[in-house]
Amino acid sequence: MKIRRTCRDVTRLVFESQDRPLKPLETLSLRLHWLACSGCLRFRRQQQLMQQAMGRWRQYRDQG
Amino acid sequence: MSGAADFAKQVEALRPQLLRFARSQLRNDAWAEDAVSETLLAALEKPASFAGRSQLKTWLVAVLKHKVVDQLRRHTREATLLTTDDGEDLDESLFESHGGHWREAPADWGNPEASFGQRQFFEVLEACMDHLPPAQGRVFMMREWLELGTDEICKELQITATNLWVLLHRARLRLRECLQQRWFNTHTTKPA
Repeated sequence: MKIRRTCRDVTRLVFESQDRPLKPLETLSLRLHWLACSGCLRFRRQQQLMQQAMGRWRQYRDQG
Repeated sequence: MSGAADFAKQVEALRPQLLRFARSQLRNDAWAEDAVSETLLAALEKPASFAGRSQLKTWLVAVLKHKVVDQLRRHTREATLLTTDDGEDLDESLFESHGGHWREAPADWGNPEASFGQRQFFEVLEACMDHLPPAQGRVFMMREWLELGTDEICKELQITATNLWVLLHRARLRLRECLQQRWFNTHTTKPA
């Protein structure tokens, strides 16, 4: 498995991390990529915000 | 008005909302009708056990989720037809085909947490989810609303984990794109 990843690949892994635990090497390759790529770092923040928003939405829909 | 009549009214009033939930999940009006009717029938069995409307709704939604999963199980074969890929891959427009870099770097969404509680935001979010292609919308809702595990979704829909990740990936990219256009481009979320 490779350690250098494209932005496209990183994006896929970031979303997959919501559905499965990443392997250590995958996590490491993400960390290294983020050190050098501000675009993917922003994308990760967007993904975290989306996850938060979905949690709030579940509450709103189920109890609101 | 008698307590029973009042209860019947409350149940009826919540029906349109439940139907909307079930439809958005099942994308099939007949199955949605069935799931909602079974849910409301279950509530009519025990009218005494609800303290108020909000408690009733919470209970109904919880039961509805089970009924929706039942419907998915019952219609696995038809449901599977839907999971053949739909909608083009956003990847192509987001990343350079050579080298896989962002064509346009993702925007800074600032600190929008406070806006996540607004009704207006939820309406945009739901509109974006409703616009997902059917297969993507279905798996996304199974994951985010029914909160099913990926193994369970694969089993219900008889698809591989790889298929599922592809569908979820596409759904999330689309949702992100939609939120960017319909929310973040027009709402300032930077801290004051």
